[in-house]
Amino acid sequence: MTVLVKHRGLLGLALLLWVCSTHLRADWWWQDDSPPAPQPQVQVAEPFTQWRSGPGSMYPVIHSSERGEWLTLHSRKTSWIKVSDDAGREGWVHVDDVLLTKDGRGRLVQLEAPRFDDFRTRRWEAGLMMGEFDSTAVNAGYAGYWLTEQLSVELWGSQILGSASEILMANVNLLHQPFSNWRVSPFFTLGFGHIFVKPKATLAQSEDRDDSTAHVGLGLRYYVTERYFLRMEVKDYKVFTSRESNEEATEWKIGLSVFF
Amino acid sequence: MENWTQRIFLKAALCITGLLTLGSAQAEEGEDRPLIAPDVRPQQVDEALIDTENFEIGAFFGVMNIEDFESSATYGARVAYHLDESLFLEANIGFAEGGETSFEKLAGNVQLLSDEDREYTYYNVAFGYNILPGEAFFKVPFVDQHYTVNTNFYLLAGAGATDFAGDNRFTGVFGGGYQMIVKDFIALHISVREHLYDIDVLGETKTSFNTEVRGGLSFFF
Repeated sequence: MTVLVKHRGLLGLALLLWVCSTHLRADWWWQDDSPPAPQPQVQVAEPFTQWRSGPGSMYPVIHSSERGEWLTLHSRKTSWIKVSDDAGREGWVHVDDVLLTKDGRGRLVQLEAPRFDDFRTRRWEAGLMMGEFDSTAVNAGYAGYWLTEQLSVELWGSQILGSASEILMANVNLLHQPFSNWRVSPFFTLGFGHIFVKPKATLAQSEDRDDSTAHVGLGLRYYVTERYFLRMEVKDYKVFTSRESNEEATEWKIGLSVFF
Repeated sequence: MENWTQRIFLKAALCITGLLTLGSAQAEEGEDRPLIAPDVRPQQVDEALIDTENFEIGAFFGVMNIEDFESSATYGARVAYHLDESLFLEANIGFAEGGETSFEKLAGNVQLLSDEDREYTYYNVAFGYNILPGEAFFKVPFVDQHYTVNTNFYLLAGAGATDFAGDNRFTGVFGGGYQMIVKDFIALHISVREHLYDIDVLGETKTSFNTEVRGGLSFFF
């Protein structure tokens, strides 16, 4: 945190530059001379397709296109695609409805629509979790890569904020899910890491220390919808201290993850 | 003689007609297109041409009311990822500065915290839910013109940490906000968030309630 405070000016500048660069790429404030590639177009194949005023099912229906009409696809927000027709009208159509339209060759349109099938075939996932580490609050984030449908490697960062100390923890672990085609999929995990303990400023005679750790755990992944799933897990940590005895801690967490 | 002149003219005529037919043949090749071009539709749908805009990045400014330590201006950055039309995840980082407690003011020359410890830095990660999507309608005065923009009222709950008064504390956050999508890629936000953490700086441990009111601008990408 203190590092962030010291460099917050730099952080702000970096953020600004990044925002600028993303919009320069989109030719926001000057025109690109080269002609843009034509946006994809689809033909309505169902009796009609409904348009909404915004990217959500709770926005009002503003228009319907009949069978045979052509729609131009512009941009996408979550599961909604911004379309326009030959008359210049603009609106939003759900991706499930776009999947029922046909392309110039008369074939059904293929677009990415994350489904339960993708839950076990996608390679990358990332998530944020909260819980308790040895009855102290913990915030954690992770990213994982699936080597096979059953086995993945994960990298974790956790922050444990207790009344006596602040602990930062980094872990690498292997995760195995035996039933990858289940919607609620149990898993086992095994890994190692490092722990950095920073005692509270109000405590006298405190010093920072860091130790290696190893852990085992088990948990559940529960596919909800689209590209996200719930994840809960319990891990048992062994902390290899430099003192006479090692320490043990139990941690439970629950959170939301996304696959890519 | 006549034959000779006839032959010359015939030859010249043949040459010219030959050239003309050749020229016209070339011209025909170039004008293969019909006069009225039919609507040419792209054959395949290339998904890469459809820009996905599920992330949102922005900056915010506002007021942070720090319990016992006055109110302070606050500023920071926010990144959001929209999971579906209703649910989103957001991460915030913000900075503020604690003022003086009433004890410090009344007692005169007493400093409870050093200047460095008064720096208030927080981060949090929250789940948001667009509970009331809608539309806002604006009429331009004196001109018969109006604009409609999409809006969202959202609720938030999450957790993070606050670095203040010498320590980093686990912090719970909840609140709500209003988002106005001015353009497809620009949004304005107004939100109110409550930050809760346990603090023991003033003697006994208590839960500190800190209200943040802020406005911000964000870009979708």
